[in-house]
Amino acid sequence: MNTPAARRWTGAAARERKRRLVNILMLGLTGLATLLALVPLAWILAEVVARGSSALNVEFLTQTFKPTSLGGGGIWHAIVGTAILVGLASLLAVPIGILAAFYVVAHPNSAMGLAVRFGTDVLSGLPSIVVGLFIYTVLVIERGYSAWAGSLALAILMLPVVTRTTEEMLKLTPQSLREASLGLGAPEWKTTFSVMLPAALTGVVTGLMLAVARVSGETAPLLFTALGSNNLSVALDKPMASLPLTLFKYAVDPSKTRNAQAWAIALVIVALVLFLNIGARLIAMWRSRMMR
Amino acid sequence: MISTQPRATRPASSPVVRALQHGDIPYRGVIALSALAILGLVVGVGVMLWIYSEPTRVAAGWSFVVETEWNPVGEVFGAAPFILGTLNTSLVALIVAFPLGLGVAIFLAELCPIRLRALLGFMVELLAAIPSVVYGAWGIFVFIPAFVQPLGDFLMNKFGNPSRFPFLPIFQGPFFGASTLAAGLILAVMILPTISAISRDVLLAVPRAQREAALALGSTRWETIWQVVLPYGLSGILGGIILGLGRALGETMAVTMVIGNVSQISASLLSPGYSMASVIANEWGESRTPMYASALIEIGLLLFVTSLLLNIVARLLVWSVSRRNPDAGGGRA
Amino acid sequence: MRSRTLFLTNLLALALIVSACAPAVTSASQSRSGDAPGSVKLNASGATFPQPLYEDWAFAYNQLDPSVEINYAGGGSGQGIKDIKAGTVDFAGSDALLKDSDYSEAPNLQMIPTVAGAVALAFNVKGITTSITLDAETVAQIYLGKIEKWSDPALAKLNPGVSFPDTPINVVHRSDGSGTTNIFTLYLSAVSLEWKQGPGAGTAVDWPVDKLGRGQGGKGNPGVAAAIQNTNGAIGYVELAYAKTNNILYAKMINAAGKTVEASIPSTVAAIQDARFDDKLTAVIVNRQEPAAWPIAGFTYLIVNKDYKDCKKASKLVGFINWALTNPGAVDRASKLLYAPLPKEAQPKVLETVNKITCDGKPVATK
Repeated sequence: MNTPAARRWTGAAARERKRRLVNILMLGLTGLATLLALVPLAWILAEVVARGSSALNVEFLTQTFKPTSLGGGGIWHAIVGTAILVGLASLLAVPIGILAAFYVVAHPNSAMGLAVRFGTDVLSGLPSIVVGLFIYTVLVIERGYSAWAGSLALAILMLPVVTRTTEEMLKLTPQSLREASLGLGAPEWKTTFSVMLPAALTGVVTGLMLAVARVSGETAPLLFTALGSNNLSVALDKPMASLPLTLFKYAVDPSKTRNAQAWAIALVIVALVLFLNIGARLIAMWRSRMMR
Repeated sequence: MISTQPRATRPASSPVVRALQHGDIPYRGVIALSALAILGLVVGVGVMLWIYSEPTRVAAGWSFVVETEWNPVGEVFGAAPFILGTLNTSLVALIVAFPLGLGVAIFLAELCPIRLRALLGFMVELLAAIPSVVYGAWGIFVFIPAFVQPLGDFLMNKFGNPSRFPFLPIFQGPFFGASTLAAGLILAVMILPTISAISRDVLLAVPRAQREAALALGSTRWETIWQVVLPYGLSGILGGIILGLGRALGETMAVTMVIGNVSQISASLLSPGYSMASVIANEWGESRTPMYASALIEIGLLLFVTSLLLNIVARLLVWSVSRRNPDAGGGRA
Repeated sequence: MRSRTLFLTNLLALALIVSACAPAVTSASQSRSGDAPGSVKLNASGATFPQPLYEDWAFAYNQLDPSVEINYAGGGSGQGIKDIKAGTVDFAGSDALLKDSDYSEAPNLQMIPTVAGAVALAFNVKGITTSITLDAETVAQIYLGKIEKWSDPALAKLNPGVSFPDTPINVVHRSDGSGTTNIFTLYLSAVSLEWKQGPGAGTAVDWPVDKLGRGQGGKGNPGVAAAIQNTNGAIGYVELAYAKTNNILYAKMINAAGKTVEASIPSTVAAIQDARFDDKLTAVIVNRQEPAAWPIAGFTYLIVNKDYKDCKKASKLVGFINWALTNPGAVDRASKLLYAPLPKEAQPKVLETVNKITCDGKPVATK
């Protein structure tokens, strides 16, 4: 058939049209995929805010545990616990991470340097429950559940994040700074601490923020290290409460009061995590603008 | 330190003392120790898990991996239900997350206006920042009732009738919400940012010349992407998928809260299941006998070794793409 | 410049050392003053069966004696037994009885019964808004997987006025080692030969419903209760308090005497009538013949050490247990939470054992 209508769907012009259609269809699908990917984010945030805000008030944040028969109390003990666990973990992870990053930047192509970069990647991919098991075998078997054990587990999870971000920042710092310092006769360590580190400071800070964001919500490694607690405690050799552990306990509880409290804790954690992530990104953007 | 005294009158001190005063050797020692600490941790985790899993390894050997019964009271420890459960949930997660993640990566790398790219990319990455336990709570109270339950009911009613579809056991009922399907779908949301971020970096690393050549020859945008850009970055994208798989294998809290915690092997996605990480989380607290504890540690050892292998393969794949184009960023995670 | 960096590093090291030593330092000073608030921390884990009560008691006792802080972490009887044997907690809660092997591995352990509770069969079926009645055979058949749907005639026979939907039954059980499971499976073994020869009794058993795809595991009593709440068509066994306080419907049962009873304080008290405690201070009270007895009842125990190294902890623990078992306010709180106190005849023997707890060989109790 050779009617004008038929000619539209056969021949070179038709193949051209078909290719254009496929093009628009597939590109449209990728846009759809992006929208679809953002739906869970919006949904989770909406639910956390909607369900969490009912239980979130000043009393909730400042009281400690009370049984549900007495109203359910608050999460102050968990807030303090998380602060201590994460703070201690940071004290352990940040120095080691920064120093290891210096090593990697100083020996980028040696076998050991490559091994350490690889080791950092592996460490960041380890299931967090395996880290908890490791710390249990090393610390808890002898001494019982403690905040120390929990902090160590979290420190192991923070280490790769700190190392990686410090390393990337150091690589961005101009070599000329380092060469000038060494040329003036300063020893290596002085160059690093007085010249390179301040220049890379924003990287270190953002690395710390991202690492803290990562571990503030970690539950699995704390299950058999810090164990969790209903009491306010600052003792490092005893079990310690934490926000994610309390969330888990309250979510898998039949009481509606506890469920509402779980959502409120989720709101607190998500707010903290978002704040840290967005803050780190903003600092990085400000930094790159400053360097131009 | 540059000395201003003439050489002849400088006090004689040993080279060692001078080196220490200079500070470089302690400095180099300290940073080397820190670097070693990282390597030491990776090795240490493996060693401790190996040592403490000895009772079951010696007693059962490889049969631990294929034994299908898990009966702590009767001291029968078989890891097969958990290995299969982990594989099933991860597979479901990959099947859902891969096309979506790749689609997002293509959109962000090729089509998106540059001003939006950073913002949208950041928002997708925020999905990875939400803690697992929050995903779990959302799963129990929101996602399962609102999405998984209707979806599962639909699949069960349409395709799950054993007499009409005897060779399709994956959608057979009964279905109660907590299931492999629920865990797989939530995992898909959690690993999507990993796949999309790495794929996006890989696609951005493909040289412009490749695209321009294809377009100059008359390809449409899509044909360029599908026939030129994607094949070029294929190994890197594969690396991203493997990293996503690695993350899915180790997820604990979200899976534990929605999978049903039943150590039975079932061909249906709609029945409850159990994963390796979940059984450790649930049963570790009470593993009374040495064999029980050692069996759980051996499961942890399997997780460790698997994630190690996956990481190695994935990093090699991703590095291979960035090496072809050294001035583009690779190796992100 | 060098000195400043050195100073900072030293400061950091000092801070770490101080924070590590701080607990030792502060606890040393407090043992002298003794009654500083929160100075004696008792850690415990174990059964979720009595957890609502223990948490309530811990809170109340802390109001009475602020120096004592009790942290009861739960986790199931299995975890409690493991932890007290390993020495990682000061005492444990368990409804499961210690085996001979446990005693030979850890001869220092002593079980102390505290209260009795009822195990209720809670359920959640869309369309059923009142309690239903079940009997021993029906429950066994449900858990054996033979009764598959709520519309089964066996259920209709026991509940003539109720209209059951055609929903499949989702059978919820514990995913962790549980004393509640122990009590429940002891009951099933007592009433069903098929169950006794099949899965049997214990803190964790092979649930036939799992193979059929209709089982679901929950962690702890809260987990099972939550699973029941979140699943249409579910039934599961939980300690009564968990069903009652969360408004989950639970079934009436026909007991060994043929009477229909409801899970409650009176029926639990009837179940512990004339309970015989053996020399290890344990007693099993399922399926008793008393007309008003709840058939699935059980005692719950604290597992303590016979001898403690820390005298302060031991004396506070003995004080707490004495208060919990004898103080009228404590007993009242237990009843309010639906746990029955020990029978009067058993109390003297139990208190005697409690007051035999020693610290380094010397008895702790002053009475």
